[in-house]
Amino acid sequence: MSNAEIEHHDEASSEQRPTTSGESDEQIDAAWREYDFTGQAKLSVEDLDVHYGDEHALQSVSMDIPDESVTALIGPSGCGKSTFLRCLNRMNDRVDAARVDGSVELDGQEIYRDGTNLVELRKRVGMVFQAPNPFPKSIRDNISYGPRKHGDINKGLMARLLGRDDTEKEDELVERTLRQAALWDEVNDRLDDNALGLSGGQQQRLCIARALATDPEVLLMDEPASALDPIATAKIEDLIEELAEEYTVVVVTHNMQQAARISDQTAVFLTGGHLVEYDDTDTIFENPESQRVEDYITGKFG
Amino acid sequence: MSTVRDTALHSGDSTTSELIANVVLAVSFAGFVVSWGVLFQWIDEATTVAGATVLILLGVALLVAAVGLVVVGVASRLDRLDTTPSPTAGFTVGAVFGVLWSVLGALLATTLLGAGTVLWVPAAVAFGAAGSLAATLTREDIGSTIPVAVVLALLGGAIVLGQIDAAWVWAPAWSSASFPGSELIPAVVIAGSLLAAWSGAKAKAGFGAQGRQAGAFALIGTVVFGMLAVLGLLIGFIVVNGLETMLTGASLLGGQLTIPVVGVTIPWPAFPFATNVTGGLFVEVPGVLPATIGTLWLVFGAVVFAVPLGVGAAVFLTEYAEHGRFTQVVEVATNGLWSTPSIVFGLFGLAFLVPRISGGNSILVGQLVLGFMLLPLVLITSREAVLAVPDEYRDASAALGVTKWQTIRSVVVPAAMPGTITGVILGVGRIAGETAPLLLVFGGPPYPSNTPNVLGSFALTPNPPFVTNEALLSPASALPYQLYSTITAGVFPKEIFTNQQFGWGTALVLLLVVIGLYAVGVGSRLYFRRKLHHE
Repeated sequence: MSNAEIEHHDEASSEQRPTTSGESDEQIDAAWREYDFTGQAKLSVEDLDVHYGDEHALQSVSMDIPDESVTALIGPSGCGKSTFLRCLNRMNDRVDAARVDGSVELDGQEIYRDGTNLVELRKRVGMVFQAPNPFPKSIRDNISYGPRKHGDINKGLMARLLGRDDTEKEDELVERTLRQAALWDEVNDRLDDNALGLSGGQQQRLCIARALATDPEVLLMDEPASALDPIATAKIEDLIEELAEEYTVVVVTHNMQQAARISDQTAVFLTGGHLVEYDDTDTIFENPESQRVEDYITGKFG
Repeated sequence: MSTVRDTALHSGDSTTSELIANVVLAVSFAGFVVSWGVLFQWIDEATTVAGATVLILLGVALLVAAVGLVVVGVASRLDRLDTTPSPTAGFTVGAVFGVLWSVLGALLATTLLGAGTVLWVPAAVAFGAAGSLAATLTREDIGSTIPVAVVLALLGGAIVLGQIDAAWVWAPAWSSASFPGSELIPAVVIAGSLLAAWSGAKAKAGFGAQGRQAGAFALIGTVVFGMLAVLGLLIGFIVVNGLETMLTGASLLGGQLTIPVVGVTIPWPAFPFATNVTGGLFVEVPGVLPATIGTLWLVFGAVVFAVPLGVGAAVFLTEYAEHGRFTQVVEVATNGLWSTPSIVFGLFGLAFLVPRISGGNSILVGQLVLGFMLLPLVLITSREAVLAVPDEYRDASAALGVTKWQTIRSVVVPAAMPGTITGVILGVGRIAGETAPLLLVFGGPPYPSNTPNVLGSFALTPNPPFVTNEALLSPASALPYQLYSTITAGVFPKEIFTNQQFGWGTALVLLLVVIGLYAVGVGSRLYFRRKLHHE
């Protein structure tokens, strides 16, 4: 319970204080953003700029995200961390006013160029949203929705007539993803019930299972626990740590304790769409190089 | 009795005021109901109860309510009751009583002093001012009871003292109509009982904010009650008039049903009015089967035509089209189309569709014209429904790599289905009873001797268009069309019914068909809602 209190205190303080230090004179040192890690970069972002109409939401952000790890993106409201996240699977394409410049490479392949297969991209880079958003369908249909639309699972009258019914395959998929999302034990006896009947925490884990069903390599999470109570939050956090053994997880959070608990490396965005510092989570939280990052992390401004 | 009340008042117990207020409410409710009964002649106004006619009793009811209100109002003003009145009853109440009292003053002046413009104008002004001042300048407990009580007492007194009785006739000079007392008294009592109920409800809740709320609820409740009563009256009237015709020759086991394959004949309900054709030589009880089938085909064809088009257009407008001038124009045009008079649609069908499709009246053109009429409502309601589908669903689907079209098909349209069906239900109610366009493009002989056989008339031809359907291109009869023909025709061709009887029977069947269509619509909406939501 003390955990929850700290969280609440932290969120309250970040809400109350205006982002005055955003206009501070501190110059951002490019060296703060350098993060050396061993192994391959799963995602490699180069000079990413995003404009919403006249608003410059993200200013020349560059960072490499290592494979099979948890990367936390933290920063005050409006700092561009969610915008950055939505660039990684090109969800910003759905916003008419958004313009994206720069480069994002997934396993060395550019995703911002003509002829990118968005279906394939989003299958490989899954996403979980802030508020749980299951479809008004059964739990089973929620999970198999993606694979069915992609033709990986054939079901229905036509499939049955042609002898290509994948009911078994679907059952296996549903069980595997629900187990991965730590939800199987709670719902295995009511897979055909409407997903809207689940609790908020269960719905969010179902959304994670749904994202896992398309067999992604990267999982983007936009404040996945902010709408949930402390117990459900703890479950989601455990889940994220487990998922990092197989997947590359990028998680946006308002909650610094959460970032410190679950992430391997942390990127701090500050007002104006700047990536200020990016390093090992331990380094960021114990010995940040930027004064503003230190102020933010210690709660002096939010 | 009076001592009991006095002690109760002295102890400041508010149950006494509640008791009196309840009496006022009960009396006014009884007066309200009985007055409607008298007005519709379900209760004979000459009926006597305990030596007094019903009309006198209604007057007594008003007097009782007036006395009750005075007692509650005065006791409350003298702080003998546990009430919380506001300093004034308010401007609106004052305005209403100003109008009421000025009417009362004018009536009094003309009755007592004789007719004359010179007299009733100052009387009306004086009374109006007095009423409105009495209501506004006094504290709320006096202001919202005494003015009511005075009105009630005057009206009730005039009735009880026989100033107005059943034989009395009010024939105002400005109107050619005359109002006998047997109708005027119930009407006056209805208005008076509404006033008494408002005031009584206020008193019961102890005036103040609570009282105003109670008074408003009492009025709203009565209005709702009245609305339901009108609806019930309408349906009841049609049922009463049409039931006998509809049940002519009907019996529970008088008919026979031969089970197809087995060939056994078993007793079966007989319902000739619903299962017989209208014309023909050997038909004993002419029925409405051809017209019923015609109506059902019309509605079916219109729905099949309008729903896919309407939903498709709604999806295009909300999901694909840029929101701007174009969608605005479409919206305005759609709303305009929905309010276009049906005869205009009929004329369009007659001038444009009939020569191009069937060369004469036909079921198909009728279906198309009704489909055109249904289209805008389906479009409007499905557009609202598609807009109401949360964007989270679209985001979730896009993040899974699912294309926009697949998202629309498997998430957006199913989620919008209940709203769409609501539109279809409303629209079907309208087109099923539509008559004017059918007169122009659809109707054949009003009393057909055979049922349109649409399903059995499909035929293959070696030349284009390869499939023909004679029945679909022939005129037929529909229930509202047949009702119109029956009423305007002078004589019904069969002796068993007069054309009025046959008309009422047709109207009842039409009502039942429309209710049946509603039931189908509501059922399917329920089905889709169940699918979408938890339980």
